[in-house]
Amino acid sequence: MSGVTAGNIQNTSPAGVSRLDVLRVYLKIGTIGFGGGYAVMNLIHAELVEKRQWLTEQRYENMLSLSEMAPGALTVNLLAGVAYRLGGVKTMLLATAALILPSFLLILLLAGFFLAWQHNPLVAGALEGLTAGVVGLMLAVVWELIEKFPNHWYYYATGAVALVLGFFLHVNPIWLVILGAAAGGLKSLASILYRRLKTEPGKDVGA
Amino acid sequence: MTLYLKTLFLLAWSFLKVGFFGFGGGFAMIPLMQDISVNQYHWLTHSQFSAAIALGQITPGPVAIGATFIGYKVAGFPGALVATVAVFTPSLVIMCLLARFYLEVRKNPVTQGVMHGVLPVIVALILTVAISLGEPAVHSFWQSMVIALVAVLAIKNKVNYGLLILGAMAAGIIFSLPGMRF
Repeated sequence: MSGVTAGNIQNTSPAGVSRLDVLRVYLKIGTIGFGGGYAVMNLIHAELVEKRQWLTEQRYENMLSLSEMAPGALTVNLLAGVAYRLGGVKTMLLATAALILPSFLLILLLAGFFLAWQHNPLVAGALEGLTAGVVGLMLAVVWELIEKFPNHWYYYATGAVALVLGFFLHVNPIWLVILGAAAGGLKSLASILYRRLKTEPGKDVGA
Repeated sequence: MTLYLKTLFLLAWSFLKVGFFGFGGGFAMIPLMQDISVNQYHWLTHSQFSAAIALGQITPGPVAIGATFIGYKVAGFPGALVATVAVFTPSLVIMCLLARFYLEVRKNPVTQGVMHGVLPVIVALILTVAISLGEPAVHSFWQSMVIALVAVLAIKNKVNYGLLILGAMAAGIIFSLPGMRF
């Protein structure tokens, strides 16, 4: 029944999407959505927008930019937001659980295996390869994030400062995130204030 | 028993923090997870932490699923459950709030400033973790080749991350065979 209430609030959910439908699709995405990043985004778009038309292209884009503002994995945020739109909080919680469940079970299995066999030479060798692979992936992600920088010296400068504070001075990463957020907020406040100060004398001259 | 409960509580609190401050996508959580589980509480060694992240890449889920591995290592199945719920809770709460107040939030230029301010910090943090994971663990030529190859294939050819990780693991097994080391 809560589906009805959420429908009234949002009045965007297409008729006939039951909670069970949502859970089934999310379980599917959570099972076959290997690889992260682009691959999973394409899968989500194909399932939700093209195949089932649970949301329009426009709403998908909106939800995507919303998801970028929340902390955590983009795909989880996006799917949680869509589930919330379709059926409210209860659907969102159950659907996210369905989405995570396959990975949760798989990693428990892998963790158990790894922790029991980590000193086996073959497993140790596999881990040497895995570590190199993870480092390579991180460098790729760093590269992709740098390409998202607005083309302005400020971002490169704060990045360099954060690198010095984090890498050489071992400042707690949470503090660095807070500092970065505060600096970014202050910068935009300052530029708003600056624009106001610039336009006001202009008005005086005009009068 | 009380010690065990304390550990579970510590796991929950730690991964709530990771979930709350992990702005900028799943990889942004890696530095926070590393700081808490390797540097602060010594729950995992460096190489166990790389395993947690790497195995997380093999699963269909997001990077944050590494929290499950860490929780399991620290306190068994209950630990895995607590850490997983904790790491995803902030995302869900904030998505609910954003879905309600989206228009107000999006119009606000300060929100944009805050998001952009966090971005360079995240880049620096991920780079720091990449170095701190790689530096003690990479000591063979083939590993450097794997790093370069994975990075290039991910950037240029957008190869599936899970496949790249599986490939890197296969390389690790092959080069650990007798007579293959160089």
